[in-house]
Amino acid sequence: MSLLTLPPPNLSRCSILIIEDFDGMRAILRDILVRASATKIIMAANASSAISLLEKQRFDIILCDLHLGQGKSGQDILEEARHRALLPPHSVWLMISAEKAAEMVTGTVESRPDDYLIKPITETMLFSRLTRQMEKKKALAPIELALREHEYLKALRLVEAQLEGNNPHAWDLKRMKAELALLSGENALAKTIYEEALNLRNLPWARLGLAKLHFNEGRYVDASRELKQITDGNRAYLEAHDLLAYTLEKLGDADAAQEVIQRALATSPRAPLRQLHLGEVALRRGELDTAQVAFQNSIELARNTPLKSSQAYLALSQVQQTLNQTDAALNTLSRLSTDMHGDSTARLLAEAMQIPVRLHRGEKEQALGLAQNLATGLKIDAQHLPPDAVFNLAAPLLELGETSTANALLGSLISNHHEHPEYLQRAQSIFTHAGLEREGRELVEGAARAATDIMNRGVKLSREGKLGEAIKLTREARAKMPNNARLLLNHAFLLIAWMERHGRDPALNTEARNCIELARKLKPEDKRAGELLTKLELLGNDFVLPT
Amino acid sequence: MPTEHPKLDLSTFLLSSIHDMKNSLGMMANYLEDALAQAPTEAGSQASNTPARQKTAQALYEAQRVNNHLIQLLALYKIDQSFYPFDPTEQSLADLAREALARALPLAESKGILLDLDCPENLFGWFDYDLVFGVIVQALHNALHYTRSKVLLKASASEAGVVIQIEDDGPGYPEFLLEQGNAAQRGISFETGSTGLGLYFADVVASLHQAGGRTGHIVLANGGQLGGGQLAGGQLAGGCFSLHLP
Repeated sequence: MSLLTLPPPNLSRCSILIIEDFDGMRAILRDILVRASATKIIMAANASSAISLLEKQRFDIILCDLHLGQGKSGQDILEEARHRALLPPHSVWLMISAEKAAEMVTGTVESRPDDYLIKPITETMLFSRLTRQMEKKKALAPIELALREHEYLKALRLVEAQLEGNNPHAWDLKRMKAELALLSGENALAKTIYEEALNLRNLPWARLGLAKLHFNEGRYVDASRELKQITDGNRAYLEAHDLLAYTLEKLGDADAAQEVIQRALATSPRAPLRQLHLGEVALRRGELDTAQVAFQNSIELARNTPLKSSQAYLALSQVQQTLNQTDAALNTLSRLSTDMHGDSTARLLAEAMQIPVRLHRGEKEQALGLAQNLATGLKIDAQHLPPDAVFNLAAPLLELGETSTANALLGSLISNHHEHPEYLQRAQSIFTHAGLEREGRELVEGAARAATDIMNRGVKLSREGKLGEAIKLTREARAKMPNNARLLLNHAFLLIAWMERHGRDPALNTEARNCIELARKLKPEDKRAGELLTKLELLGNDFVLPT
Repeated sequence: MPTEHPKLDLSTFLLSSIHDMKNSLGMMANYLEDALAQAPTEAGSQASNTPARQKTAQALYEAQRVNNHLIQLLALYKIDQSFYPFDPTEQSLADLAREALARALPLAESKGILLDLDCPENLFGWFDYDLVFGVIVQALHNALHYTRSKVLLKASASEAGVVIQIEDDGPGYPEFLLEQGNAAQRGISFETGSTGLGLYFADVVASLHQAGGRTGHIVLANGGQLGGGQLAGGQLAGGCFSLHLP
């Protein structure tokens, strides 16, 4: 060939998976790869066969169509494969799409593919991208491994080491570095990188990163100013729209929040979480019709995906009850039970939430029967029920005289959220409404005080150097309030302090890591989670950086 | 009783049809490229420019040309409606150049035109890959149409960023195109049959790229490295299209 083309990559030793629903395209891709001496090529026509192939075999290269018809998309497969560690660290994932789509400019280091290819795919294009990405991934494999182990600090150091040379992917690495800094609680470092990028040019990802920092640190006005700079010019940047909606809600402007979500949905309506968000905001604004449609859309879109959750079903049945459509509400709950039959809490909720509907219909006998049958189950599972469900269930239970169940539910809720004044108020007003003001006050204040007490005693014991006793205390408390973010972080802090003194212990290490990961899920904006992960990582860590 | 049709917006059909045609032409281009790639191994290198091969290359060019136009239309529509996901990243110009030249190569070979590349391996620029790729391929196709024997793709660093140039040794751009500086005024020419889409697209793409107070732009000129000489009437020969990106 001429000097215009590079030699094709040698793919003879690479195992390759092609995920593409159109057989014509599968054959074309295979033929191109064969011309680069590929022999180990396996093809999948849909998401489920792709996943089962990924489970059985470690592929070096994956070519995947972004749109695979109904059900899971190429993006869903990638995220599941990464989440379940089905890919070797050096693997190259190329996402193929018919056009440039909004989802290509968002996402995090853990959700982006290595590259996007826009159809028509030519041989030169595929070969040059494969060559470049295979080289790049070989260099990034140690970082990928660290990420997989959630060793963000180590990953950060490795990125820094790579940036020291004259790296052709400098800005990819810097973007990754900023994301890792955010994950390790090093907000100032992330800020420096985003500002450096914005000095260079108007890069939406950098402005979004800066806005995330403002949001996490509670500077909602600043966050909204940055986000509006992204969204005002262009409605393709969906992630910025979503964050702007949350920011506007924090600023008390629900009307504007709903408008922003609807704008994002006009660009990309097939997003179950965004539909759910629209439903929640519309419900808060009292726009029940909008809320109902949004929740229905969310349920339909999430049905066969890993994004399905009981939240949309419960919210929908609540709206239907408010609209006096009680048959529909009961129907929604029975669909919850069917669609999520593998989830025992969802099944419990599907039954329990019939109680308010039955009561609303005047079917007191049936409501009472349900409440009595489910009392034990509800008390056992109280810790895992979502706050909205607890609030909707508590008043009917009190009305039915099932006070001990209501107390158990609200008590658990308060101990898990003792620092959440809005929840304390809502719980109190439910008791007051039921004519149980004094009892309510005892329970609500008691539960909150008990939680605060435990925190204080833990801190005091650790200051006195009685780490063992402190850990015993927080460990027992964790069993009673497993979703209290502050307690989880305090417990992890104590475990780490213990190991700093007595050496690393695998069981304690896992316990601490689980606490931090759960706390991060419950309270993503708390940077203490990242800081503690870093401390945990530094414990007796002897990782060596390449020189 | 007349059947009642639900009211439908015709533009929805237009859009989805353009998508469909674009995808179908893309597949056609893929099949034809595949056919070309397999042909020489069967026929042996002696017969690498058979009439069948030439016609396949021509068909590939036509499929690519219309496919490109539809991609440009869709991108322009998205830009106009402000939902094009504009995403400049730092990328290798040599990679871009090679991928674009690969699109033009089958047609160039079938017409016996020499393609040349002048680009340092370590040159990087900030741009939206897909948009700029579309502009370059369009400019290469255009140059192949008018050139006599050669087309040169050149990329270099400039004071403000990077410049990508496509030069040919044809008669050069007609006077009226050089005079009408602003692409928006060029519009549709019924005389030449040109829709003006390509230049308009290039103009829009260039101006989306901004940094440090500078905005990207395109320049049409005659002369250039391959031109060398004047036509009767004093006009410089050799078209030269440049895309300046900050």
